[in-house]
Amino acid sequence: MTDWMMVLPQLLLTAGGLAVIGVDLAAKRQELSALTAGLTLAVAAAAVGAAARRAGEAWQSMLVVDGFSTFFSMLFLVTGALVVLFSLPYVRKKEIHAGEFYSLLVFVVLGMTMMASSRDLLVIWLGLELLSIGSYVLAGMLKDDPRSLEASLKYFLIGAMTSAVLLFGLSLLYGVSGATHLEAIRRAVAVGGPWKSVALVGMWFLAVGFGFKVAAVPFHMWAPDVYHGAPTPVAALLIAGSEAAAFSALIRVFNEAFAPLAADWRAVFTVLAVATMTYGNAVALVQTSAKRMMAYSAIAQAGYVLVGMAVGTPEAVSAMLYYLLAYAFMVLGTFAVIAWLSLSRPDEMLDDFQGLGRRVPWVAALTVLLMLSFIGIPPTAGFAGKFYLIKSAVSAGMVWLAVVMVVNSAISAGYYYGIVRRMYLEGDAVRERTAMQQAAPSAASSMPRPMQLALVISAAATVLLLLFPQPILDWLGQAQHVLAMLP
Amino acid sequence: MLSLLVFAPLIGSLVLVLMPKDDKPLLRRTALAFSLVPLAVVLVLWTRFDTTVQGMQFVERVPWIPSVGIQYFLGVDGISFPMLIVTALVTTLAILVSFSIEERVKDFMALMLLLETGMLGVFVSLDYFLFYIFWEVVLVPMYFIIGIWGGPRREYAAIKFFIYTLLGSVVMLVGILALYFQSGLGTFDMLEIAEKARLAPTAQYWIFLLLFFGFAVKVPVFPFHTWLPDAHVEAPTGGSMLLAGVLLKMGTYGFYRISYPTLPDAARAFAIVMGVLGVINIIYGALVAMAQKDLKKMVAYSSISHMGFVLLGLAAMTPMSMAGGLFVMISHGLISPMMFFYAGTVLYERTHTRMLDEMNALFTKMPIAATLMAFASFANLGLPGLSGFAGEFFTFVGTFPVLPALVYIGVLGMVLTAAYHLWMMQRILMGDASVHAAGHADAPAAHGAPSPSSHAAHAEAPALRLPDLRLREALVSAPLMALIVLFGVAPSVLLRLFNPSIQALLNRLGGL
Repeated sequence: MTDWMMVLPQLLLTAGGLAVIGVDLAAKRQELSALTAGLTLAVAAAAVGAAARRAGEAWQSMLVVDGFSTFFSMLFLVTGALVVLFSLPYVRKKEIHAGEFYSLLVFVVLGMTMMASSRDLLVIWLGLELLSIGSYVLAGMLKDDPRSLEASLKYFLIGAMTSAVLLFGLSLLYGVSGATHLEAIRRAVAVGGPWKSVALVGMWFLAVGFGFKVAAVPFHMWAPDVYHGAPTPVAALLIAGSEAAAFSALIRVFNEAFAPLAADWRAVFTVLAVATMTYGNAVALVQTSAKRMMAYSAIAQAGYVLVGMAVGTPEAVSAMLYYLLAYAFMVLGTFAVIAWLSLSRPDEMLDDFQGLGRRVPWVAALTVLLMLSFIGIPPTAGFAGKFYLIKSAVSAGMVWLAVVMVVNSAISAGYYYGIVRRMYLEGDAVRERTAMQQAAPSAASSMPRPMQLALVISAAATVLLLLFPQPILDWLGQAQHVLAMLP
Repeated sequence: MLSLLVFAPLIGSLVLVLMPKDDKPLLRRTALAFSLVPLAVVLVLWTRFDTTVQGMQFVERVPWIPSVGIQYFLGVDGISFPMLIVTALVTTLAILVSFSIEERVKDFMALMLLLETGMLGVFVSLDYFLFYIFWEVVLVPMYFIIGIWGGPRREYAAIKFFIYTLLGSVVMLVGILALYFQSGLGTFDMLEIAEKARLAPTAQYWIFLLLFFGFAVKVPVFPFHTWLPDAHVEAPTGGSMLLAGVLLKMGTYGFYRISYPTLPDAARAFAIVMGVLGVINIIYGALVAMAQKDLKKMVAYSSISHMGFVLLGLAAMTPMSMAGGLFVMISHGLISPMMFFYAGTVLYERTHTRMLDEMNALFTKMPIAATLMAFASFANLGLPGLSGFAGEFFTFVGTFPVLPALVYIGVLGMVLTAAYHLWMMQRILMGDASVHAAGHADAPAAHGAPSPSSHAAHAEAPALRLPDLRLREALVSAPLMALIVLFGVAPSVLLRLFNPSIQALLNRLGGL
């Protein structure tokens, strides 16, 4: 019976996803579909909270409920809920079929929670597939937009290849250990012997597969096109949710199964981290499209999180979790603004931000806050997140890596401030007027309520996570103890 | 009390944001009223400040993020308290000066108050995490103040300022973290780390360098200074006043509050480097200032020059040189805002130029304003009896027994400083009012009858009179002048505040 209680969130999500389709068939109302999806996520969050109290494993640890899975499940559900919230005006304007959109969104979130709630490689892989297949469709939801179709196709092809890579690595590990459970793999890897090299190869295949999913350089090439072409709320879901889900699997698999090989993979993740953040920041600097810039910025941010993998201490793990949480809110808030701007100007250029400081001061002010958070300037959660990551690096004696990270932060100020500059500084009369003329007469002048709400929630969370981090840190402390098997 | 001091402007800033943006006079008065709160608090604290105590006073301490060892920890001593006086006063005056700003008054005033919260917070924080937050909070409003209300190259200057100082401060952050781990105390408490950490000299050197980078950019120490002239020249007057008066001191304050007490071995080891950099700042700043045609740029470089004295005072580590360095910080915190006020507003509003060649004979055109400009210049060049002299004098006297060679060269800087100030005054204040200054012919501010020009070649005659000092401008000048004279004539007022804390600092440095 307890087994069923533990899997309740997943069951609820499955039922909810189907219910969205039913509601869509019964009543052709977009609001109702969105509402059903939102309710499903809320109820699932409650179930996650309830399940967390009886932590443990079910079905030979196909499913596990621990601090780590609870943390990530909550993160995914909140992400999904915020996406539902600000996507509604977008879905309506772009004439996306709401029933499909919201049911797929729920299934994608289901896939994410599965990835975080298992210690079995097969289930993790299943979760990833569920997440991915839904995402391929979601990315192509703008049927009249060739960019969207291209994004969908690219994502699908790369995704299929990633699956194959992961599956191959998985089969090698199965060959070595005779099991797909992380604990069993860890025991097998720890023994060493002639099979160790096979295990290592398996591990590298997993690293590459997850590297694709988190868009780490050099496995990132799909990310800018996909994030750019996908509908804006979907891009937000992919950046804030899918990447976090991939990180959840990455963290768990490497820290549990490959703990005995930590010295090997830490060095590799160090290289990946440095390459990823530096490349992402450098290329983001020259972008003119808002979504493309955010895509490269997502690559750079993945690089920061990878610093935690490079450091590889329990403290670094909790820093990564904190950062992923803070980052999700920054991304969702920013994409709420981009989605709003794209209602009237479909190209999502950075120049769409021009004069926003004058036209809608409070939106502009909150956007500044989010940008500060991306750069890592107080008083924002982005600062606290970087602080914890840097702290973990310095504590492990990797001061040089911390310095690389802070230099990257300073570089990133260049493009994040590009948005701020456009909102406030380029507001001189001439450009202001042309920007105003380009804007649709009235549609752009006020932000739809759901988007307002999503933006305010994200911005508030960004500040509150800094001001009152202790509860979150305590929670992360629990999440991280699960993984405290490191040498 | 200190929390009220720090957060009153922040509350003011939020109140302003909620106010309608059309009633400009009301917005200005509200901002001014909120900026008076910290000033009042500082004055009350001044009466209660115990100059016999070495340690921190008015301490407030609450656990914040206990699992990491971060607290909300405020307090002041003789080193930080004078900075509060300067900050509170100069902010109020800068807001008063900015009454002339007509565009986006609400945003501007809200940012000024936010800036004040950041600056005050830096000087009262005794926890590294808190300190860093306030340190960075200062960046953002200043970026907007330069970027929105600045001169023609404002965007460039603003982003340059932002990225330079951001880079400096994030490297400083790494230094702070290194300090946290090397000390092994599990706390971000500045005092505890300074007191209990027994750091190996090598660790100290590295941490000193990391912190140095952060502070040096703010000071700014040559060669990290290139953002400063751009920022100063482009910033609106209120911004320049705060930038020169307070922001630069955050860097030197960092040396006094963090680097020296916490890393005494490194401080001793790097003394000669600090001294040499100080002298380079003095001489280089003065030489470049001399070459400037733009009055504001000249004042900006003179700031670089003056901050060199602080470094020199720190290098020598004698009671008198350390007190001298602090004295220069306070004194420059009063004089440079006044200089920028005259260069950027009083003179500029009349003559519509900042070019030295385009102004002349201001003594006859606007006698009172010109006299006050001369006063500020004399204070800045270090005329005895004014605070600038006292600070430089103490620095030199205190440094001489330890680093005489540097003093010999540094004194040369004083000569240069006197030279370019006098030259500047000669060019803009004196001369024949009837002689045309280049490019000045169409000065819109010209008032009164055309002069009976003796130069027949000039069809349009230049104005003989310009409007003289206004009441508001007098109000801005008076408190600065009063303190400049007070600290110049009775330096003991300040020294009494400094001395116990400097003694405590020197005890840590190995009792000289």
